[in-house]
Amino acid sequence: MAPVQAGYAPTLETFLKSLKGQPLESSIERLVYLLKRRQIKGAEQCATATARILLQVVAKSRWNDVDQLLVNVQQHGATLTRAAPRELVISNIVRRVLGLIRDEAIEDRNAAGDEYGVDSVSDMGALATPPEQPTSRPGPTPIKPGLATHQSFISKSMFNLLSAVHPADSTGTGTPVTGASTPVMQATSSATALRSEVIDGIEEIVDELSQADDQIAGFAEVQIHPGDYILAYQPSPTVEKFLVRAASKRHFTLLIASGPPQRGAPEATYAPLKKKLNAAGVKTIHIMAGSFAAYMPRVSKVVMGASAVLANGAIVTDGGSAVVARAAHEFSKPVIVLSGVYKLCPENSSEVEDPVELGDSSGYVSFADGPLVNGVEVENTVSELVPPELIDMYITNLGPHTRDHLDDILADHYKVEDIDFPLQ
Amino acid sequence: MSGKQAAKGAGGKGKKSAKGAEEKREDVLQAVIIADSFQDRYTPFTLDKPRCLLPLANTPMIEYTLEFLAMNGVQEVFIYCGRHIDQVEDYIYDSPRWRPASKLNPFTSIEFIRVSDAHSVGDFLRDLDKRGLMSSDFVLVHGDLVANIPLDAALAKHRARREANRDAIMTVVLRSAGEDDHRTKTHGITPNFLVDPSTGRCLHYEETHPLQSDHYLTLDPTLLEDHAALEVRSDLIDCGIDICTPDVLALWSESFDYELPRKNFLHGVLKDFELNGKFIYTEILDNGYAARASNLQMYDAISRDILGRWTFPLVPDSNLVMDHTYKTSKGGVCLEDGVTLSPSSTITNSVFGQRSKLGSGSTVSNSIIGRRCKIGKNVHIENSYIWDDVVIQDGASIYRSVLANAVTVGKGSSVPEGSLLSYGVQVGNNIQLTTTNAKFSLRSGDGKPAKNDNQLLGANGRGGLYTDLDDLDSDEEEDEDDPSTLQKSLIYSLAGLNLSTSSISTLSSTGDTESVVEDSVAQLQEADPTATTSDSSTRMRLSSLALSDDSSSGRTGAFHGDAVTGLLDSLRADDTSDFDGAKLEFMGLRLANDASDSAMRRAIAVAFARRAAELLNTLEPTKAAENAILSKKGAVKFVREVGVGGGEAEQVEFELDLQKTLVALVAAKNLEPARAGALLAALLQQLYNQDVLEEEGILAWWADKRAAEGESMTAVRDKCRVLVEWLENADEEDSEEEDDDDDE
Repeated sequence: MAPVQAGYAPTLETFLKSLKGQPLESSIERLVYLLKRRQIKGAEQCATATARILLQVVAKSRWNDVDQLLVNVQQHGATLTRAAPRELVISNIVRRVLGLIRDEAIEDRNAAGDEYGVDSVSDMGALATPPEQPTSRPGPTPIKPGLATHQSFISKSMFNLLSAVHPADSTGTGTPVTGASTPVMQATSSATALRSEVIDGIEEIVDELSQADDQIAGFAEVQIHPGDYILAYQPSPTVEKFLVRAASKRHFTLLIASGPPQRGAPEATYAPLKKKLNAAGVKTIHIMAGSFAAYMPRVSKVVMGASAVLANGAIVTDGGSAVVARAAHEFSKPVIVLSGVYKLCPENSSEVEDPVELGDSSGYVSFADGPLVNGVEVENTVSELVPPELIDMYITNLGPHTRDHLDDILADHYKVEDIDFPLQ
Repeated sequence: MSGKQAAKGAGGKGKKSAKGAEEKREDVLQAVIIADSFQDRYTPFTLDKPRCLLPLANTPMIEYTLEFLAMNGVQEVFIYCGRHIDQVEDYIYDSPRWRPASKLNPFTSIEFIRVSDAHSVGDFLRDLDKRGLMSSDFVLVHGDLVANIPLDAALAKHRARREANRDAIMTVVLRSAGEDDHRTKTHGITPNFLVDPSTGRCLHYEETHPLQSDHYLTLDPTLLEDHAALEVRSDLIDCGIDICTPDVLALWSESFDYELPRKNFLHGVLKDFELNGKFIYTEILDNGYAARASNLQMYDAISRDILGRWTFPLVPDSNLVMDHTYKTSKGGVCLEDGVTLSPSSTITNSVFGQRSKLGSGSTVSNSIIGRRCKIGKNVHIENSYIWDDVVIQDGASIYRSVLANAVTVGKGSSVPEGSLLSYGVQVGNNIQLTTTNAKFSLRSGDGKPAKNDNQLLGANGRGGLYTDLDDLDSDEEEDEDDPSTLQKSLIYSLAGLNLSTSSISTLSSTGDTESVVEDSVAQLQEADPTATTSDSSTRMRLSSLALSDDSSSGRTGAFHGDAVTGLLDSLRADDTSDFDGAKLEFMGLRLANDASDSAMRRAIAVAFARRAAELLNTLEPTKAAENAILSKKGAVKFVREVGVGGGEAEQVEFELDLQKTLVALVAAKNLEPARAGALLAALLQQLYNQDVLEEEGILAWWADKRAAEGESMTAVRDKCRVLVEWLENADEEDSEEEDDDDDE
């Protein structure tokens, strides 16, 4: 599709390309408006854009110690979250980066401690216990706003104790360290070290984002068996990859259920997928979403993508998925959700503010139809919540999980103090 | 794109620097916003504020336009602004986002251009041409545009066409809106585009409106020959987005009298295609949203489209303006921070701005409420647009109206459909306004404070009934012909207007014929300034005469007028004795208008008869006839071949036309009836002598009933009795001779 390249309209690609030459502030603003105008949309694009812009925040924004960096990341992250409140992955990426910074800071401090001959946990030890961080030690941590500031205060004092006091930062901590000249040197050098380490970490996250779909597809042949009838509702790129990979090893039949052809995107949307599957010898049947229930007795598994997976196992996904999941549930057919770990949110469904997003009305009714435009109120729900009890299995890039297992993944990936991030 | 550019770069290596610079410029997309349309369709609101700053769904219109440009990757923006330019400049310079120096600004530059003596959009564009700011393709939009369409495809196509042909100068972006009635189509004035569906080339543009007397588009017949298929599209929403090359501006400069981009420029350039050779294309979109809030009816329609999320993502809850904080809740209701709604109120499909309050028992449906509005208890608001700081007291009801900033509506009052309450107007308590489509303002049309109309608005009311300046100045007749009056009210209505009832479907209609007859009468009067207007009886007769031969063609009017003047001019000309030029011109006109044989015949008859009648002032009838027909070389041949060109029936028609013309001249008091008859006889004889007319033809005319219809016709006819009798005798002699021959 060459003409897309020739265009002037900004896209994710042009945005990422322009990041280097632009001042941070304008990059963020541009991203905010790209999100608001839906020129960057969908969990994958939003996550990549967020990770890359946070990398710029770490690289370009002014910070002298960890706390300042954390505040910067939190602030800019919150701006992005406000721009697209329904793209929950943005918060996830911000949390991941915050966690990363905290980890690196601890490592640094430990390293600094070694230099000063202070007995401390070794690097190995710090790596070995990622979920249980020294900073989150004080007592059990109920999730509530304001907690993190308390936390960061502690971490600040500890950090200062060990590394250095920056003149601008010495407000609250009345513990000046003797021999200030060398520690200042130490602070700057540790800041640059931290910067490069955090940047490396973010790049790892970016890699993870780009590989997630492939990794998920790696589990395809285990899940899909020969002779299966798989129902996919509006297959997302993740689901498509998964199915294509399965097709290379297994012979099954795919039922693609989709809503009425979206205006401007005719039926050809799934044509590349069908072609690939047909080449691999897999039969595809395209059915209207309204009639999928008739096929349900025949179906052996339902596969769907998600734009976010909530802590209790509910998913936010394309409008119309919930009824598919419910039908599968009634017929006792397993529903498999494919989702990268980065889509896993620490929020519960009760905390998510109105996951139903209304889109462009012209998705269902042509704007050229004057009487209909004037006489009918059209609501095009582009995303909705599928309750957890309708879902049987989650496949992430780490492997297949049950609902109960999600908590462990959450604990592995997010720091407790970052869980209530957007509320701070 | 990248590959293409590389190829181009390699090709132009020799003149590297110049070419390189140009190409670099090509990558920058420029746009021009016309933020003043020199119209008064938003009065009284535009007395205080420019149109582009009026709130549309609580967002100034220009925000939508700028967002559209940003969405499409425009980098340099030039804003032309007329009235209230200071306000627009202040708005942009105070905006954290659009401020030129702002880091948040998506444009690399945003510039205002002031033109002191501009009176039309055309003046802006001619000024733009002088400045030479446009280096390559640019996008021309208006300051009241709401659109979410991606322009990339249209831009790429335009560029490809321009590279293939330098004369492809413009692409007009249009949105199809179906054949049915559509709220977002402009009402009153319908744009009609003639498009070649295979290439998208626009061949003709014309605006039609219900007030005009005829409902025709006049097309060049050659268009039908050159194109396999043509579509006349009147179903399009013209959103005013044009992709132009700098050549467009040059064309504007060449035509100093063009004012409007569509009615003048587009129509004119397409009409004069043979002169300028420029191609204009259309890009008709079936997806996305694009419309101009060019008048209050469109304002209403677009607001409704925004509420219905047709303009997505340009909807309130996208919060595209910096300080907006809208959130959608159930039932299509969009609320900003700090809105207080009473639990017992009912709201459907509406938007509420920051810190607005709604009292208990109130119902609001399909409405947009601005910021800091205070709405009391049991208020009923339906389909209305209420701007900021409006106070609506308990029990009031408002239907399909626009209430500007700081309007107050008293307790128990009601505002009927179509009302426009301008800034600061106060309606007292228990006032039941009754007239629909009424406008109230604190200022009158000339900008002076209006007198408070306490009778209408109550004892503590402020503001008076507003009437447009034009309405005061111009007389009724003029007003009725101007279609823009249709677009000045919030609700489109044809009630109370004098509409012609002629239909489009039949080619010939009484209305049209009438206008042709009036044309010919007007021409006759023109010929003699002292002539008084013909009394109704002659007009009646004339129209009945004209009916008989006009009904065959619907478009003779323009052709006839032009052809007659052209022939007359060349007959009058003293310097040449050649008729070829006139003949050529006449044939050209005939082709251009697709005139029928009878129309041509009539035109020629009228021209020669009138020329002879002119000469009658100085010459005797026989001399006049001879002079008229013989003075120019080739004229006789022309009349024989083109004018008559046939047998007996055609000759009769031609003679009838001659007779009718002379009768009309008599009716217009240019000619005495007696001399008219003599002239007709002389003309017929002259034509007989030149073998244009034959004996049988003249005799058949004499016998024809139509020639003796009515008093004046008979009077003129009778003078030819001598000629006819002579002809009959000659005939007899001939036959006698023949008989003799036979005898011999």
